[in-house]
Amino acid sequence: MASVYLDHAATTPLDPRVRAAMAPFLEEQFANPSSRHAPGVRAAQALAESRRRVARALAVEPRRVVFTSGGTEALNLGLLGIARAARTAGRDALVVGPTEHACVRGAAAALEREGFELRRLRLDACGELDLEHAREQLDARVAVVAQMLVNNELGTLYDVRSLARLVRQRAPHARLLVDAVQAAGKLDCAPRELGADALALSAHKLHGPKGAGALVLASEFPLEPLVHGGGQERGLRSGTENVPACVGLGVALELAELEREATLARWRELRAFFVQRLALLPGARVLEAGRERVPSTVSLVWPGAPAAVRLHQLERCGVFASAGSACQAAKHELSPTLKALGLSDDDARSTLRFSFGRTTTREELEQALAALEQVGRELAPLVR
Amino acid sequence: MNLPVSTTPPDALLVRYGELALKRGNRFQFEQALMRNLRAACSSIEPVRVEREHGRLIVFAERRLESLAQRCAQVFGVTSISPAWLAPAEPEGICRVARGVLDDALAALPQGARPTFRVLTKRADKRFPLTSLELDRFVAERVLREGDPLVIELDRPQLVLGIEVRDGRAWVFARRIHGPGGLPVGTLGRVLCLISGGIDSPVAAWMALKRGCEVRYVTFHARGFIGEPALEKVGELVRVLATWQGSSRLLVVPFAPVQLALKAVTTSALDEGYRTILYRRMMQRIASRLALREECQALVTGESMGQVASQTLENLSCIEAAAELPVLRPLVAFDKQETVEIAQRIGAFALSAVQEPDCCTLFLPRKPITRGRIESCERIEQRLDLETLVAQTLEQVETLDLA
Repeated sequence: MASVYLDHAATTPLDPRVRAAMAPFLEEQFANPSSRHAPGVRAAQALAESRRRVARALAVEPRRVVFTSGGTEALNLGLLGIARAARTAGRDALVVGPTEHACVRGAAAALEREGFELRRLRLDACGELDLEHAREQLDARVAVVAQMLVNNELGTLYDVRSLARLVRQRAPHARLLVDAVQAAGKLDCAPRELGADALALSAHKLHGPKGAGALVLASEFPLEPLVHGGGQERGLRSGTENVPACVGLGVALELAELEREATLARWRELRAFFVQRLALLPGARVLEAGRERVPSTVSLVWPGAPAAVRLHQLERCGVFASAGSACQAAKHELSPTLKALGLSDDDARSTLRFSFGRTTTREELEQALAALEQVGRELAPLVR
Repeated sequence: MNLPVSTTPPDALLVRYGELALKRGNRFQFEQALMRNLRAACSSIEPVRVEREHGRLIVFAERRLESLAQRCAQVFGVTSISPAWLAPAEPEGICRVARGVLDDALAALPQGARPTFRVLTKRADKRFPLTSLELDRFVAERVLREGDPLVIELDRPQLVLGIEVRDGRAWVFARRIHGPGGLPVGTLGRVLCLISGGIDSPVAAWMALKRGCEVRYVTFHARGFIGEPALEKVGELVRVLATWQGSSRLLVVPFAPVQLALKAVTTSALDEGYRTILYRRMMQRIASRLALREECQALVTGESMGQVASQTLENLSCIEAAAELPVLRPLVAFDKQETVEIAQRIGAFALSAVQEPDCCTLFLPRKPITRGRIESCERIEQRLDLETLVAQTLEQVETLDLA
């Protein structure tokens, strides 16, 4: 029996077309793009071409794209870089979204240790951003606001545009940093449309390679680099560029944009089918939060057994899913998203996440459903 | 940059243009050129439809209007852009839309701001039941609410709720994004810009673009002596300039043979001092021939008066004498700092600032002449078969189309 991978929110397989575009830069075209000889120039050209691809997909100028080692570094650069640069101007507070990824929470904690005041946004009962509460958190002291665009567990699309509007109004010098790691390629993330000043993305969530990401800026503003050295990436991220990975990011993002509408249509269909059948599992309910969602993620609350136990049973049937985000899974933390939604600790501990990729098929979902039914039957006697 | 963020996206962008409305004779061509340039500039973001309407252009697109507005702000000829909402051409319908537009503008104001404000109607559709003044008052009375942080001020208000009624529809807008002004690229003809990797020549090219010239580029590359990064840097600069005109042509002239030939005939101490001027005279000659081939009407250079020791009036005269076309020097009276500021604004400075040797650093004279004489230049050049040298060089020119 073939295995079924339903954990694409954690990472996605490399698209063969992306791999093909990267291959020359892993093999014969190995030169350092800063080198002055012909092979170096060719590497620099490939890097510039990839930068243009990312810029095109996000409707910004190529020089606004800063390549990083991934989403985590892009978000760290955005959050720490903006906050530290704004400190000299007397802005010493930061505002962080209610369900941010561990890397944003970690960077925010680091800033707190440096003396910044940390303020948190929260969700309302529907799982949307509580904008009234957000309004109260924003004032002239705020240097940076970090908010994810799409929730990594529920696929909820947060109303970042309205948040941007509040930021302009209440904290006109603050910068809005948007985590688009789960959103890129799934919806239009052009930062200027969102009202974002900076936007982070990662290649491996869109069938690109690991170790590649970017911080995309909507305009020029002070940003303190994290990594100092040879002045690559306009001095914002020193270190020899990871050419194959950057090439992979450019191609992966371009492909995702190209195939976006078709992929979304397929996911909507798959999700409707999957959710309808999941509802038949005894005791299980699908978590739906927010008005708008990206249809690639399904969260299932299935009380009676810890998620870890169910996942292990599923794995024995060849189905790979997760509980919350992979980073939390590794740390056995409770999901802030589920807690923010008001789930009890027990319910939060028994929530499974299934996430689709570009290659997910209906047959795979049927196999997963069969496995889920079997797991339900096997575990039922233990639960009662 | 403060990006206002609206809940309902605008229906289109109203694009205004200045000077070209004054040029009665060829206004139509100017408008056509601007429409073409807007479409081309937007195409990298989103396909757009551009309509012409009584001294305005209207840009329609399915999505990404904010990014498109920022893009249009980089199209020469555009003086301002307003994201606009469509309303039915009747007073009540206009009021309904106007409140939303005003809310949007108010939401973008910093807390505590109380800008001066007015409603300003332009009415091209004379069948409309109210005059402009009447509609101003009608909309203001209905749309303004107690507690709006606005101070009515008809003269030079800071915030204008604009209404334009024409052809059976009305546009409502409140934001105005500044355009770069100038003339649409291509309307004044075509020029050939001598570009190096330095700070000045890209700015000179940008200024030619601003005044409506389509710019092609020629660079002199001492291949064999100078590495490819120098050429790559020029290519990147041309790409930055392509933001303002779209796909741009760069002609690459292999210059080492010319430099070697000139070196061979300037061995005496006196003649050696002329090398830099002689290089530049050859550049003018070759560029002039290429300009004819590319149907360009003038040459553009980044030279300015007295900026470096060699840029004396005497030397500039010696250099220009070799050109067969008018030589335009947009930076002639600029201080270095003024040039640097423009370079920074257009995003060329960071590229130019990267240290990269160019052909002019080859076989430099120990003591360059500062007051060159044309007769001396010609006396040295007589030792060479200039025509053959130019013809052989022209055969080796490479053409790159960059975007």
